[in-house]
Amino acid sequence: MLVILRIFIGLVLLVSGFDKIISPYQNFLYVIQAYQMFPDWLEKFVAICVPWVELMVGIFVILGLWFNWSLKGALLLFTCFIVIVGQALLRHLPLDQCGCFGSAIHIPVQHIIVFDSLMLLSIFWLMRHPFKAKKLSLDQYLDLPNPRR
Amino acid sequence: MALSKQKITVLIIALAVGVVVVTKLILSGSSGTVDPVAARTKGPKQAKVNIVEFIDFECPACAYGAKQLKEYTDRYPDDIRVQVKYYPLMNIHHHALQVASYAECVARQGKFWPFFDMLMPQQSQWSPLINADGVFDEMAKGAGVDMNKLKSCLSSEDVTTTIMSEKALGRSLGVQSTPTYFINDQMVVGTKSLEEELNKYFPKISK
Repeated sequence: MLVILRIFIGLVLLVSGFDKIISPYQNFLYVIQAYQMFPDWLEKFVAICVPWVELMVGIFVILGLWFNWSLKGALLLFTCFIVIVGQALLRHLPLDQCGCFGSAIHIPVQHIIVFDSLMLLSIFWLMRHPFKAKKLSLDQYLDLPNPRR
Repeated sequence: MALSKQKITVLIIALAVGVVVVTKLILSGSSGTVDPVAARTKGPKQAKVNIVEFIDFECPACAYGAKQLKEYTDRYPDDIRVQVKYYPLMNIHHHALQVASYAECVARQGKFWPFFDMLMPQQSQWSPLINADGVFDEMAKGAGVDMNKLKSCLSSEDVTTTIMSEKALGRSLGVQSTPTYFINDQMVVGTKSLEEELNKYFPKISK
């Protein structure tokens, strides 16, 4: 169960990051501008860097490589998403879609904050049960004292 | 052993970057080019700033963008060339395809810009209507369109084909939302970036 949850969380980040990276960064820049949260100089940086961070953290969580660190990375990402979407909802910004998954999936902001919160709770759950969550992970294999390799 | 884990980490990162690069290369290989000559164009050919806009006439940001762009084209008519291409978002705007059809039929009679200049500032009035055909008819009349020709054009399948092929072109160029502009081939999405890009060529217009 925890392994499936770990893979799901990783897949969410991987799909989200990959879709944004393969399309021109200007599309994600437009999404970031709509949240009206960052200064101009930071918007472009976030638009280019965040999808790569999502992709890498997603891959590492799925594979269970550097698991504790990658899970902390996922925790940080989802916390940031909740803060960004939350402030947009509080300010009643006119956002139809969250823009979180590029062109792949369209989710209203009211729904995505619930989804992100569930993801955050799931990450806390995985952190509480690291041994079960690390089953079928690269860490489990690579950190063995004398693996037959 | 720690080294092995580090080597595997580097390998996975390199593999991920490789997959992304190959996907981007494949996608860029299948992308089209923006046609510089079309009916919905204004401004001189030799203009220093060439703008191709992918638009959904019902999108509020597009109405704002049209207003912004008009301020620049009015002030620098010899320096800016604008071409409008269709990118109707039918899943979120229920007039999107119909109004694009009107625009195309009006354009075929050479009256696109007068129609456009009425359509966009009044978007907030016609957008909530269940059926806005009456409003579009009035605007077309105001633009000086032959209404009989317009009606027969609206029932032509060729119009929808033109609109959807331009949307497909937009998609192949990486367009996902509206308004998306290509300013001297540089992709710009949204009105904030539009203003920033235009201010690279022209002094800021104070409001």
